[in-house]
Amino acid sequence: MMYLPFFAVPLILLAVVLAALLAEPRFRGGSQARRQAEEKGFALLRAWLTPEQARQWDARNEFEVIGCDTGARYRIRRGTAMNVHQLDCTGRDVARWCFMPEGGVVTGDVLLAQKIALETMEKEVLALANTQTSPAF
Amino acid sequence: MRTQIVMDSTGDTRHHFDPSDPTAVAEAERRFLELKQAGFIAAKRTGKGTSELIRGFDPNAQETLFIPRLIGG
Repeated sequence: MMYLPFFAVPLILLAVVLAALLAEPRFRGGSQARRQAEEKGFALLRAWLTPEQARQWDARNEFEVIGCDTGARYRIRRGTAMNVHQLDCTGRDVARWCFMPEGGVVTGDVLLAQKIALETMEKEVLALANTQTSPAF
Repeated sequence: MRTQIVMDSTGDTRHHFDPSDPTAVAEAERRFLELKQAGFIAAKRTGKGTSELIRGFDPNAQETLFIPRLIGG
């Protein structure tokens, strides 16, 4: 019992410091700003989707695009790495592609950049992308 | 009004300009050239969910989107 203060006091002090840090606007503001940026990115993406792509996005957080050069079908899933799935005529994954805008853009921006790139400069963007082909999955 | 939308870490930054104002158009063209020089890809909206890449400044494009240079992940 006599040792209780040795444990209790540091724990109380730690709790006070953690509470103060969590209440600090710089910490709260950072995550809130990031959340707002992510929401803004998804709003931009939604505004640039076709009506069909918007329906797919609302239902499943993914949408399909047709490559401008090959006519191949791709499914772009919410994510920022290996999230572009190339599909065969039955809808099965045959390859996964990874490319994105450089710099720290938000997820919605990455997805929109991937859509526009595949729809307007497919061969060019796939030439710089990393890929995994079917046997890996 | 025309809008230039630049993707960035805040989601995007928007610049509006009046196509009938020569000063505003010149400013928008300067921004276009600077962003292109920095490696951004420019695409103008052509319809609901459709777009096309543009190489030169188009003051008549309702919305021009600037995408940072693409890299393999």
